Amino acid sequence: MSAAGRIVIEGIGMVGSFGCGVSDFSRALADGGSRPASLAVSTGSGPIEIPAHLADTSPLSEFVPARTLRRIDRFSRLALLGSFLALRDAGLADTERRRLGLIVASGHGATGITYAFLESFIKDGDICASPTHFANSVHNSAAANISILSGIAGPCLTVSQFHLSVPSALATALRWLAEGRADRVLFAAVEELSELIGYAWYRRRGGAKSVPMTPLRTAEETAVPAEGAACLLLSRAEAARGGYCALGEAVTGSRPDDGFPLPDAGLLVLSADGRKDAGRRFAALARNARIACYTPLYGSMPAGPAFDLAAAALILKGGRIFPSPGDAALDFPATVPAGGELLGAPRVSCLTLGDGATFGLATLENP
Amino acid sequence: MTTTEKLKNILVEDLNLEELTPGDIDDDAPLFGEGLGLDSLDAVELVVIVQKHFGIEIRNMDEGRTAFQSIRSLAAYIDERLPVR
Amino acid sequence: MTDAPVPITGMGCICAAGRTLPGCMESLFRGARAPAPPVRFASNHPVRYPVFEVPGFEGPPGLLRTSALGLHAAREALEDAGLDRETLRGMRVGVCVGTTVGCVLSDEGFCREHHAGRDPDMASFRRILHSNPAEAIAREFALSGPLQTVVNACSSGTDAVGIAGSWIRADLCDAAIAGGADELGRITYIGFISLMITDESPCKPFDRDRKGLNLGEGAAMLVLESERSRRRREKRARSFLLGYGSAGDAYHLTAPRPDGAGLRNAVAEALSSGGLTAGAIAFVNAHGTGTPDNDRVESRVLGDLLPGVPYHSTKGYTGHALGAAGAIEAVFTASCLARGMIPANAGFETPDPEIANPPVREATAVSGNAALSESLAFGGNNSVIVLGKG
Repeated sequence: MSAAGRIVIEGIGMVGSFGCGVSDFSRALADGGSRPASLAVSTGSGPIEIPAHLADTSPLSEFVPARTLRRIDRFSRLALLGSFLALRDAGLADTERRRLGLIVASGHGATGITYAFLESFIKDGDICASPTHFANSVHNSAAANISILSGIAGPCLTVSQFHLSVPSALATALRWLAEGRADRVLFAAVEELSELIGYAWYRRRGGAKSVPMTPLRTAEETAVPAEGAACLLLSRAEAARGGYCALGEAVTGSRPDDGFPLPDAGLLVLSADGRKDAGRRFAALARNARIACYTPLYGSMPAGPAFDLAAAALILKGGRIFPSPGDAALDFPATVPAGGELLGAPRVSCLTLGDGATFGLATLENP
Repeated sequence: MTTTEKLKNILVEDLNLEELTPGDIDDDAPLFGEGLGLDSLDAVELVVIVQKHFGIEIRNMDEGRTAFQSIRSLAAYIDERLPVR
Repeated sequence: MTDAPVPITGMGCICAAGRTLPGCMESLFRGARAPAPPVRFASNHPVRYPVFEVPGFEGPPGLLRTSALGLHAAREALEDAGLDRETLRGMRVGVCVGTTVGCVLSDEGFCREHHAGRDPDMASFRRILHSNPAEAIAREFALSGPLQTVVNACSSGTDAVGIAGSWIRADLCDAAIAGGADELGRITYIGFISLMITDESPCKPFDRDRKGLNLGEGAAMLVLESERSRRRREKRARSFLLGYGSAGDAYHLTAPRPDGAGLRNAVAEALSSGGLTAGAIAFVNAHGTGTPDNDRVESRVLGDLLPGVPYHSTKGYTGHALGAAGAIEAVFTASCLARGMIPANAGFETPDPEIANPPVREATAVSGNAALSESLAFGGNNSVIVLGKG
């Protein structure tokens, strides 16, 4: 592919249980450190605590005045913090935001404020429903808040495809850039772990799980729910200044489990996150591949594949693979490098699986 | 507590005006634009606040606009409509 | 750069105006509209606001009504395109659907139970997880192509059609089912009332006395197909997707930017991507919700960018079907182009002195090969598609 048509990752903004910013994320990748906290959830039999990867949004005050944040909900705060970090990481000036597009990907959306909106009329009657909560509960409110507060006036899109949200939205970002609809796209993958999601998680998957996760033990349920934001500033190569790596392609679709050709990559990053339902398919598809899995560092969430993309970008930039936490638990034939140089093609593919036979795949490479 | 005081407490609490204390709000300062800096979304939230805390329904924004000039005008609007105690 | 036209070989629609696209068009030109307070749910709000429900429609119990409506429209569109399951099996087919309700992970009954300290039945939660609108359609017809559910609030349906067009041009698939679906429920009903932008009477887009919108529900789907696939199947194009543009206002969560800058940019991009100038546009299907703000900004932009081009809002017949609205209006626009006629802007009676260029008052003949459909969303996104005559 010619340099003119190439898309590069020019900036990265990360928020999660590991901390805030590329440096905290890199540190977690290097030392495998992850410390899930716990989330209080009220149930029919009283309050319980479930292990959870929670993120701290307080560094947002560095970018946005408190007064402006007064009616901005937690989901939008996570998205805003990740976005501002990515824009800063790329050193993007205000004047360069005119030809900037915005795509937000989230599987669950703003569930905390949605529940708060419902509570407002459950408690006080339909006439007391809070319009502010309602406005914030609209699925694209995070995109709206980002565009308003960072002055993005290009095309704006929010995508919700559960576990395929990230590769699906990424495919559209690549189309926009290829078509010249924008010179850059701020791509923000966001998930909020509200009490509602925590409660549903507890009901569907049970409460007390061992931590940390061991997602490569694919036959077991070890997922720990999570929240956070992984934001990438994607740029047409001719507009970019440096960057991490190039983004080759992103596809979603549906294929039978008996496999489909995976790209010739130096490394295959799996978004396997300890959910048993997807684990078996990962084991079948990644059989005998050279794989890595970093989900124990940030937990299980539909936006997780964007964290994989950021990890892959850092691998390509540094030329070295990070060790996969909990790799000893591998229960299918594959190679999990303990670290060291990225061998083979200078390419990292990120595989994610949705329900049924659906999948998403994104490939990053060093030109 | 007077309606004015009550209103100030409620506004700080329900509109998350965290950096203000009720004492900081001037009775005559405009609620919108310059002044308290509220906007059209706050205006509809105020309608709900008045309904929820005082049981008074503001049916449309034409009515709201007159009432929402300042804390003083809103308190007067509420006091006129409160049941006699 | 001009994009190649993308053939539209099938269309389907279900909304308050009818259960099929021909049924809807017949009803629009008859001038029928009957908004009424909701039948499917109750509210303890003292005012009963009229809405446009799809009467008598029931989906399967394990599926959200939104996705069931989407499936209904997709079936009609595929049949119209002559694509049966057998033919579909040999093709790469994607699904791109806009919605607002179809992805909300909350259910009022579930939340009420949880709020009351009880453990709710998980069935409603499972139903939502099983009902992602794009996935539900792909699952039903065993499609293997790209999937995307667009949640861009009220412009979702228009964006979904524009994005699917891009897939076809990039050869990501041979065909795509694209459109929008949204059910009307208590949560959106109460939410829009709380914003004080719903009219207590039938909505009056662009009228001086407009008070707000009436909510609606429904779905519309279009089959976009590559020119290569269309030729191979010897299928006539019902219409063409010529251009798409979208741009943010970067202004406010619920109010449109007063100068309409985002909408202007979106119209300009849609025209230029279709290689068209304003003079080529036969008519515009406006967003025209009937809220004072929307109609003021939108009519001003239309007057500036497309002076003298007849326009109408069809929300007076369907209500505002949110994520489905853009798709419903896309199939209406394509049908009107084919017919050379647009129905009256229902609800418009008294000209607004602030609106110098009023919408069409009665069914009006239009000539030309291209038309534009606009959607303006909460959060400030503006999306526009240009459709061509088949």
